[in-house]
Amino acid sequence: MFIQTLVTGLAIGGIYALMAVGYSLVFSILNFSNFAYGSIIMLGAYIGYYVLMHMGVPLALSVLISIVGAALLCFANERLAYSTLRKRNASSLYFMISAMGTSIFLENLVYATIGSRFYAFPEVLTQQNVSFGGVSLGLLDVFAIVFSAVAIYGLHYFLQNSKTGIAIRAASYDMQVCQLNGVNVNKVIGWVFLLAGALAGISGMFLGMKYMVYPTMGWITNKAYIAAVIGGLGSLPGAVVGGLILGVLETFVSAYVSSVVRDVFSFSLLVILLLVLPTGLFGKFLEEKV
Amino acid sequence: MRTKWLALSLALVFAAFVAGCGGSSGGADVIKIGQTVALTGDSSMWGQSEKNALEMEIAKINAKGGVLGKKIQLVAYDNRADATEAVNIAKRLVGEKVVAIIGPAQSGVAIATTSVTEPAKVPFIATTATNPKVTVDDKTGKVRNYAFRTCFIDPFQGTVAAQFAVKDLKAKTAAVIYDVGSDYSAWLGKYFIEEFQKQGGKIVANEAFRSGELDFRAILGKVKGFNPDVLFIPTMQKEAALVMKQAADLGIKAKFLGGDGWGSPDLVTLGGSAVEGSYFVNLASLDDPDIQSFIKEYKEKFKSDPVMPNPVMAIDGLYAIIDAIKKTNGTDPAKIAEQLAKTKDLQVLSGKLTIDPKTHDPLNKPAVIQEVKGGKFVFKAKFVTQ
Repeated sequence: MFIQTLVTGLAIGGIYALMAVGYSLVFSILNFSNFAYGSIIMLGAYIGYYVLMHMGVPLALSVLISIVGAALLCFANERLAYSTLRKRNASSLYFMISAMGTSIFLENLVYATIGSRFYAFPEVLTQQNVSFGGVSLGLLDVFAIVFSAVAIYGLHYFLQNSKTGIAIRAASYDMQVCQLNGVNVNKVIGWVFLLAGALAGISGMFLGMKYMVYPTMGWITNKAYIAAVIGGLGSLPGAVVGGLILGVLETFVSAYVSSVVRDVFSFSLLVILLLVLPTGLFGKFLEEKV
Repeated sequence: MRTKWLALSLALVFAAFVAGCGGSSGGADVIKIGQTVALTGDSSMWGQSEKNALEMEIAKINAKGGVLGKKIQLVAYDNRADATEAVNIAKRLVGEKVVAIIGPAQSGVAIATTSVTEPAKVPFIATTATNPKVTVDDKTGKVRNYAFRTCFIDPFQGTVAAQFAVKDLKAKTAAVIYDVGSDYSAWLGKYFIEEFQKQGGKIVANEAFRSGELDFRAILGKVKGFNPDVLFIPTMQKEAALVMKQAADLGIKAKFLGGDGWGSPDLVTLGGSAVEGSYFVNLASLDDPDIQSFIKEYKEKFKSDPVMPNPVMAIDGLYAIIDAIKKTNGTDPAKIAEQLAKTKDLQVLSGKLTIDPKTHDPLNKPAVIQEVKGGKFVFKAKFVTQ
């Protein structure tokens, strides 16, 4: 049971990590928590479900379409809701409120247009599992872990080696100085939201396949947000580690104590960790912490 | 000067608006029946179907001349299956002078609603709220004068499920996974356990989760270790489908069993092959011969099957209210409530309705056991109270 719990925990943590990276990416540049991210994940799942079920697109291609769709939506979200605030130098509180508004708007838009039904992906990968030494794990989980790792590594590579990546990292230290040095910050921010959106598309597809697709599915990002804070908001390796820690911890509490007190544990962990390490495990910016 | 004019004109507009409202609600040629129903949120699928069915039925009654020479008007508000919201809506409906209220569908929401309807002396008929506390105040043990329902209650449903598990499924051990945030789920689980133990069975695990949970693998890993014959999942279809899917992933061999919360066609689309061969207790069945003409009409009008059993339970409630209006020959909510308690052998959509004056629950309400077979709900057995 111990190893089974650990493996399950890692599988859950992998998805948290993927979403936490999306959060951290935006936070590292704009210093605010993009609460609309959950809704982008939800829309990504709807896009993937729609093209797969109603347009007969193969699974791999629908994952790709979901990634592109969510990236564009995330980009549009920034251009419509945040860029004006940014030009007026609004404080991050206004960004957060705008993000919450966007999130509620998108959720209710789905209620009003698509409806509140639950949708499940067909059983392509979901019903197969891999067993080794008495431990069983869904094939989808294996796939999710591998795919998340590849996506996170790809992002890391891009940030370290491409010109845009270097600009993004520079902007995350100081946007104004970066701008003075001739970097087009508008473009950099656009890129950040495109990348975060792409991760949202992947997360949405996995969440949809693992669980189901419905308007409030984005709420699970609360957990990703905690994972990002545990790891240190703004730090990508921190987000990955935070996600895995949270997933494993939650699963152990559910299995050995009770699933009812699971959130008591994860939120206590958050509070205690912030008391001991206010910047999280890998955090950099103390003064901008929520 | 300008602001003064603005203030004055605003005041005028406001006055006109208030007068307009007063005028329209004073119309004596309609009888208002309220409905408190979840039109958005996780339960909205049933809620919307319930509202559709009531509108369809009321349009039919009005076409035949209405009741007491007056047209019936449905005043439906969205309670989002939320107790706080439902209290506000109950106040609003009472303020709009409805003669009676149909709904809510959820036990917790219905119990909250009694805090408004009891002092206001306006009766409500809950559709699928199966917790005993909806109509009987557990502190005083007395029946609530203005709370009624058209569905059977949880102890009965839990009893049916437990007896079925022991007698038909030959189960000796059972595990229960329930939603600690839902009165419905917690009580149904409790009644199942009581009856299962009375029948000589053994409960090996009784695990709770919090509302909105998506991942049950941690709990299921624990259940797997006990290898129970039956896994009872007294939840709504969304959680039930996820539990069964993940239990199948973990290789749990138990038979799955549930309550009326499962009774939605998307149980199968959500749970896929994992739900095949599971059983659940339900209030009504789409293959019930008595309601075929209703189903046909509904399908013609809304191009989909009604989402059972709420529409049927709501229409039962509507008939009971109309009967009470006719018998009291008036629209006084308190008198209607008195008359509702005396309802006996009234022909309603699902069969004959008799209200027990001691508990305000329907007597002899049949329960249906359905099996998921080939992706469809198949009628398995019928149980009747005492």
